[in-house]
Amino acid sequence: MAIFEVFLKKDGRDEFRHVGALDAANDELALVSARECYVRRAEGDLLWVVRRDNILSPEREFTAPNADKPHRHHSGEAVAARRKALREMTKAQPDE
Amino acid sequence: MNEISIAARDVILAFVDDEHLMGQQHTEWIGVAPFLEEDLAFASIGQDELGHAAMLLEALVGTDDADIDALAFYREASQWRSCALVEVTLPEWSDTLLRHWLYDAAEELRWQLFQGSSVQLLADISVRALSEERFHRQHGDALLDVLLRVDDAHDRIMASLHKVLPLALTMFDGAPSEADALVEGVISGSLISLLGDWQQRVDHRFGPVDWDQIVRPVLSQRKERHDDFAPLLARMLEVLDLDRTVTW
Repeated sequence: MAIFEVFLKKDGRDEFRHVGALDAANDELALVSARECYVRRAEGDLLWVVRRDNILSPEREFTAPNADKPHRHHSGEAVAARRKALREMTKAQPDE
Repeated sequence: MNEISIAARDVILAFVDDEHLMGQQHTEWIGVAPFLEEDLAFASIGQDELGHAAMLLEALVGTDDADIDALAFYREASQWRSCALVEVTLPEWSDTLLRHWLYDAAEELRWQLFQGSSVQLLADISVRALSEERFHRQHGDALLDVLLRVDDAHDRIMASLHKVLPLALTMFDGAPSEADALVEGVISGSLISLLGDWQQRVDHRFGPVDWDQIVRPVLSQRKERHDDFAPLLARMLEVLDLDRTVTW
């Protein structure tokens, strides 16, 4: 038996989303089980079933350093705050 | 709606009752099948069979739930037209898997009898049912493909095959008015006319069966019930009987 991960997508909108996993003896049974276990109420139109062994998944440390880099976040909040402050300063001193 | 003759009703009921009880039997494996994926798959396939029974019942009585319940659940035992294969309790998983495969191998052929039916609704329902049956057979075959290659599993499956085969032959027992339904064009052949094709499928799947050695069941034109029928029906009515007037 092997573990398979199951992904579903609605036709024409959204992206594939992970919906769960299953055990199966081979690829065909994985597809058959995925159909009966995860799509029996038409939860998706398109189905991906992937052997978990085929997913490349590095250790947590591989991504951890990027958790602390606020300078890479560009939500625009800092710039917007500076522009707002500048506008208010101009309003306060209209004749200068 | 098409006018349903007495003969048509008879052959439709034979299919309704088989589908209904087969669906019930499959869904009873929820939570107790050998592994989670299988008990979900079995219940899901069972729900398809219940859906087929419901479509055929609607063809007989319309969409009124009370009428459907009366016909589906509250007939005298002698008025049911199910076969022993779907009435019998099979506590062993391997027997159940064999019943699933043998039933679905015949079910496809049975729907084909409705494909050119003089009752248009039956022809329409058969198209939908056949599209679903393909996946039921794929499920059974995919499991057997794996299990038949393992010595121990192979032996158990072959033992189950020979245990279930005499029961499976009851599927080909025609309802009392089947001959009239044939004349009316409701069906394009009798159930017994499917036996040869079905036996070939069995031989192809499991290797040649010595059919002369298989005990022939006593046939009753589907008027007699297996001993397991009464307790099965009691389980089915357990909730419905709490309050027959309530809308679920």
